[in-house]
Amino acid sequence: MPISRRAFAAAAFTALVLPLSACGSGGDGGGSTDASGKVEGDITFQTWNLRANFKDYFEGLVADFEKKYPGTHVKWVDQPAEGYADKISADAAGGTLPDVVNVSPDLVAPLAKAGLAMDLDKAAAQYKAEYLPGAWAGHQIPGMTGTYAFPWYLNTGPLFYNKTLFEKAGLDPNKPPKTYDELFSDALQMADKSGGKVATLANIPTIEDFGRYGVPLMNKEGTAFAFNDPKGVELLTKYKQLYDAKALDPQALTATPESSGKKFLTGAVAMNPGSALDLDNFKKQAPNLYKNIGITDQITSTGHVNMYVMGLMVNARTKHTPAAVAFAHYVTDAEHQMSFAKKVAIFPSTAGSLDDPYFTKEDGTDETRVRIAAAKSLKNAANYTPVLFSEQMKTALRNEVAKALQGKQSPKAALDNAVKACDQLLKQQG
Amino acid sequence: MATSTVSRTRPSRPARHPGRPANRVRRQLPTSPWLFAAPGLLVTGAFILYPFASTVINAFTDRRTLIPGRFVGLANFRELLHDDMFWTGLRNSALYVLGVVPALVILPLLLALLVQKNVPGITFFRSAFYTPVVASIVVVGLIWVWLLDERGLVNSLLETVGVGKVGFLSDQWLLLLSAMAVTVWRGLGYYMIIYLAALANVPRELHEAAAVDGAGAVRRFLTVTVPAVRSTMVLVAALASVSAFKVFSEVYLMAGPNGGPAGEDTTLVMLVQRTGTGLTGRVGYASAISLVVFVVTVVLMLLVLRADRREDS
Repeated sequence: MPISRRAFAAAAFTALVLPLSACGSGGDGGGSTDASGKVEGDITFQTWNLRANFKDYFEGLVADFEKKYPGTHVKWVDQPAEGYADKISADAAGGTLPDVVNVSPDLVAPLAKAGLAMDLDKAAAQYKAEYLPGAWAGHQIPGMTGTYAFPWYLNTGPLFYNKTLFEKAGLDPNKPPKTYDELFSDALQMADKSGGKVATLANIPTIEDFGRYGVPLMNKEGTAFAFNDPKGVELLTKYKQLYDAKALDPQALTATPESSGKKFLTGAVAMNPGSALDLDNFKKQAPNLYKNIGITDQITSTGHVNMYVMGLMVNARTKHTPAAVAFAHYVTDAEHQMSFAKKVAIFPSTAGSLDDPYFTKEDGTDETRVRIAAAKSLKNAANYTPVLFSEQMKTALRNEVAKALQGKQSPKAALDNAVKACDQLLKQQG
Repeated sequence: MATSTVSRTRPSRPARHPGRPANRVRRQLPTSPWLFAAPGLLVTGAFILYPFASTVINAFTDRRTLIPGRFVGLANFRELLHDDMFWTGLRNSALYVLGVVPALVILPLLLALLVQKNVPGITFFRSAFYTPVVASIVVVGLIWVWLLDERGLVNSLLETVGVGKVGFLSDQWLLLLSAMAVTVWRGLGYYMIIYLAALANVPRELHEAAAVDGAGAVRRFLTVTVPAVRSTMVLVAALASVSAFKVFSEVYLMAGPNGGPAGEDTTLVMLVQRTGTGLTGRVGYASAISLVVFVVTVVLMLLVLRADRREDS
């Protein structure tokens, strides 16, 4: 059977050699950073879980752009929130990354390192002045020169608390904690008075919490992590006291933001961070809680609250650089960010937009109060999550923090181990 | 007579089709089977052989999701030896096999014996026991999370009877046990059906003879039923071992993506998923873990089959 042997050999050879092709150079280099040509061609625009609520807005946006630039065609695709990073990584690895992609800074970092994100300091430097300086810098990667995404919308949120639970614990519902010391003392009192049945916090400290507590997260060069300093150990030691007293929910070690939110809704937890979007949720799902909801500012020792930054990245391999850059700018310019902000509780990253009366003038409703407070705090907010802090690093920190809370190791040893693991992962990222 | 002689001496050659030359049929023979097999081979090649070969090759590289790999020899495997999380994963996957397999070999057999009897309404119970098999694992997982939550039904009942709250979803070992319980509960119906088929082949006369000889129900079970379905028990043990060692969904849903407190409930397949996915995924290292999972799975199968052969001899 000479044919069957040859065929088998060919199949085996193909099976073995094809994967080797994946170890190649990683692509053909693709498009240029010259965005000065005619704006035309077909491009794809990918958003992050926005179709369900904003279909009309984005369809209108795309239609207006196509009308403004005849000869362009924008295909809008939306991906669900869950597994978004996996979807982008699959597209990036398969060479099917859309021309304009909705990203957060931690997503753009590996894409920029792989040469897949366009340097906008080269391709779109003329637009830089339109954005808040901090927002433009939000997509710069330590160790690299350039900016790798247009700033899009910003978000931050207050701390919600359950006034009824505060009252039951003998705390003044109109005087929520403003500092970390007050927070820890109130939490211990809440646990004590409720016999350990009501926790004040539902989540273990994350990198953002260390940042807000004033812990230096990385060295100045951005080449190594530094959150194992005495301030970091102090924060973790305090959380350990809360955990032992059941002031930190016993299930916090396995909690997700969703599960913590549910615990707050059911009154199992007295405080939870959120955004203006949550108010609507409270109204629908927990009307009794909504009646007794307290709203206070994020607690921070640095004077800067945490903010989340969204951006629009242009694929460095796009075949239509002028159209892709023009569209990403069109979506993120002041006019369109402002119109999007009026549809949903987000905040524009364009210079001067936060001074609009929409973000400064009270109308007596809770929504407006939260919006105005958030817009005010955003003016000097910080994105505490380092752009190089990958999912694997988050897991490493979380695991070591959990061991410290369980008493399996000291807070100092836990943070030393976490820093060591994160540094190793950082080195492996290249 | 002549015809009879020919047919006796050359029985294997098929009758020639009128008007079609014999050599044409012969020329098509070597390629035809390949053409028929091509669709299946393509699917197997694309979805089994290629990913497998790719995993083997990647295991010896430092490939990342977006960065092509370089050959690093056995570096990934050396790193595994010093990776605490790998040993945690190996321990949990092995414990899962030890906890789940005996239960999935014995309980479905008992259940099959129960529902084998033809009593009114038994069809309902057969269907009910099979329902968890067809239910979505995500739905099943979420329902169990609600039941076992600190404020869930189980803990409320335990509190009512004075036992107090039990940290099913917060204690490292209870979480693993809870996930095992869900796997067993979910697998009961599937293996029960396999046992029902095997039990249908056990001759009724054997039971009757044993009963006449004075054997009670337990003795009949041990001396008649078990030997009769032993090969099925081996099959169930092999299937359950492999799926238990590769467990992902139950633990992921109940312990969370982090694998329980401090990741202490992480299984090997969860570690593969966590290490190898995402924009900064370490594909090379995750492939090395996958290769270990593959080798252990094959060894498990061989051990079960070897135990069966030893019993036979």
